[in-house]
Amino acid sequence: MCTGEQYKMTSVCIYFEVHQPMRLNRFSVFNIGNKNNHHSHYFDKKLNQQIFEKVAKKCYLPTNKLILDLIKKHDGKFKVSYSLTGTFIEYCETYMPELIDSFRELFKTGSVDFIEETYYHSLSSLYDELDEFEDQIKQHNKMIKKIFNYKPRVFRNTEAIYDNRIAKKISDMGYQGIITEGSEKILNWRSPNYLYKPINTDLKVLLRNYNLSDDVGFRFSAKLWPGHPLTADKYATWMSHCEGDLINLFMDYETFGEHHWDDTGIFDFLKHLPGEVFKHKHIDFVTVSEAIKRYNTVGEIDVPWAISWADEDRDVSTWLGNDMQVACFNELKNLGRSIKQNKNKNLLKTWRLLQTSDHLYYCSTKGLNDGDVHAYFSHYDGPYDGFINYMNILQDLKQQIH
Amino acid sequence: MKVAMIGWEYPPFKAGGLATHCYGLTRSLADKNVKVDFYMPKTKHSAKSDKPNLFIKEVGETEVFPYDRPNVKELEGKFYDAVYKYNEMVVSSVKGKYDVIHCHDWLTMKAGVELKEKTGAPLVITVHSTEYDRSGWLSPNQWFIDLEKEGMQKADKIIAVSHFTKRVIIDKYGIDPNKIEVVHNAVYPICEGQKKDIVLFLGRLTIQKGPEFFLKAAKKVIEYKPNSQFVVAGMGDMLPKLIDQAVELGISNKVIFTGLISDEEVKHIYGISSVYVMPSVSEPFGITALEAISAGTPTIVSKTAGVAETFKNCLKVDFWDTDEMANKIVSLLKYKPLHKTISNEGKNEINLFTWHRVADRTIDVYRRTI
Repeated sequence: MCTGEQYKMTSVCIYFEVHQPMRLNRFSVFNIGNKNNHHSHYFDKKLNQQIFEKVAKKCYLPTNKLILDLIKKHDGKFKVSYSLTGTFIEYCETYMPELIDSFRELFKTGSVDFIEETYYHSLSSLYDELDEFEDQIKQHNKMIKKIFNYKPRVFRNTEAIYDNRIAKKISDMGYQGIITEGSEKILNWRSPNYLYKPINTDLKVLLRNYNLSDDVGFRFSAKLWPGHPLTADKYATWMSHCEGDLINLFMDYETFGEHHWDDTGIFDFLKHLPGEVFKHKHIDFVTVSEAIKRYNTVGEIDVPWAISWADEDRDVSTWLGNDMQVACFNELKNLGRSIKQNKNKNLLKTWRLLQTSDHLYYCSTKGLNDGDVHAYFSHYDGPYDGFINYMNILQDLKQQIH
Repeated sequence: MKVAMIGWEYPPFKAGGLATHCYGLTRSLADKNVKVDFYMPKTKHSAKSDKPNLFIKEVGETEVFPYDRPNVKELEGKFYDAVYKYNEMVVSSVKGKYDVIHCHDWLTMKAGVELKEKTGAPLVITVHSTEYDRSGWLSPNQWFIDLEKEGMQKADKIIAVSHFTKRVIIDKYGIDPNKIEVVHNAVYPICEGQKKDIVLFLGRLTIQKGPEFFLKAAKKVIEYKPNSQFVVAGMGDMLPKLIDQAVELGISNKVIFTGLISDEEVKHIYGISSVYVMPSVSEPFGITALEAISAGTPTIVSKTAGVAETFKNCLKVDFWDTDEMANKIVSLLKYKPLHKTISNEGKNEINLFTWHRVADRTIDVYRRTI
């Protein structure tokens, strides 16, 4: 897919996921059902504030500033899209309202787009009924409307989880586009650099070019990788050789300054990227909304089983890969009915904060023996500690409802 | 390659991980075409080799039981004499040409040093524990420390059973880090049995192994889950004190003290237990954790134990944090998905901990001394 001369226009669509979960307090099994418990104490305020402020300083603030400068420098021709989770915005509101202002300023340039997702970055799309999923999307929609007075057209589910059922629901809710992983599982020989249509509904699917995305997201500071050191001109040249309408570069925003620290050169890379890309006359940047407006679908995709952009497996086994995760997922899901009957708004809020997918991610035993990325992102001493703590809290919540 | 290895226990006689290690190591070395003569004191149960390259050479009897701690002044003189006597016996019985002399822990170090001087062959010593570990870091005995230090200084290479132990050898004995290699232990897997709600402690009942913390955690678990059953398996100088402690805690009807148990009984109890706890105050490695895990028994170990630095699918606690220990025990008994996942993942990971790997790493160390 990356060979040959071409004169046709290719667009680069950059999108960042911006998310922070509400991490949990230590909660012992002996604590379950104690009268003095209050569900607001499930969350580790101090740790959460610490991590948020650290990441804000290393990533959010400097990267927002850099992107704003780049947009201005290139007369609005450099474009990016963001997906801001509800929990992330709550962090900003509590600890750093100026961060919201800086996103507003970015949005005002007209070169920044926002993407819809579930407010809680949850796995509600995998529940038997999709009413909770819909509620959480609407809540996110309301939040974006309130802050930016904007209505997103493109949806991206938690960690790009996608299947036919989710596509149908999103299409029914009026969205025009959806984002997922450009996995061979659904493409076979086809290229991710085009828009596709779900087999069962009318919607444009943007597929992540995982090779190019992971070159930055995962491999940028890997010294053993043949592409190291990755420079903006090298990367722009790789993109210029790509065939297709659209190169989708989707990654965590924390790539900049957090996953790869400042001293790896990641900010220099970003700083020079637009300029290097514009040296190739046939490439430009688009937001996700522009991408679906400008390009048409070239084929259909059929995804009966959920895929995602996570881990090597690119499925939902990151969150539901072992018995512990399935047990927590079911426990939480099954609390839904009684929580909603209970009509206690705070309890409902807590239940939803517990749905954030990160809590299940911490219980993953995948690749434990090779000590891979999971450990880096967890504040627990391994998945078993993560499970015990999470399950104890779910048991306590259950008792609080009844 | 021909190795004179000097130990002081070998199955069926076995008091600790050292015997298990020597057994696994010598057999795998023999499989890899290393000729091993294993020198050890004669005991009531004579040890036999089942490999053509491996010979067990028993060199006369000794009164010394290496895990006993000589406390009484009077005994001390006798104890030290017996140690010197054993080492002299070993030195005089080692004949022929060897490429490497390999000793295990303090009891054999004098012999190792003398043999190195006598034959000119390089000396490798494996440190399974130090005096600091065995004393629980409370009142280490200088006589042992001096003996260990001399051996470590004169050795060409030192094998430490963990990075934790390597650190102790550097910090407490002042040894050059470049001389020390870490080789983690291994296990011959044990069969899984029909699981019962048994929470197991298995090991010497000494201050080093932290059995009193196990009983304190047991008290908390029993208050929450009255049907749970606790087993303290093994012997040691703390046994009377522990029985008193169980009575004082009011849990003596829930705790079984087995006393000394046979190898077969050890395997059986590993197999049927639901949780194994190793709350050691100081644990250079902790092979028993691997044994329990291989039998499908989820295991809680001290954070500082050597095994905790290399084995992922186990739970870790501070040995003094009996609240957290009890939290983890109850969780393992209460949440079946946790029990199943950690048990299965643990058995998978155990496959990486083979004596063949230990032998390969040990041969690497030998090669670098020759």
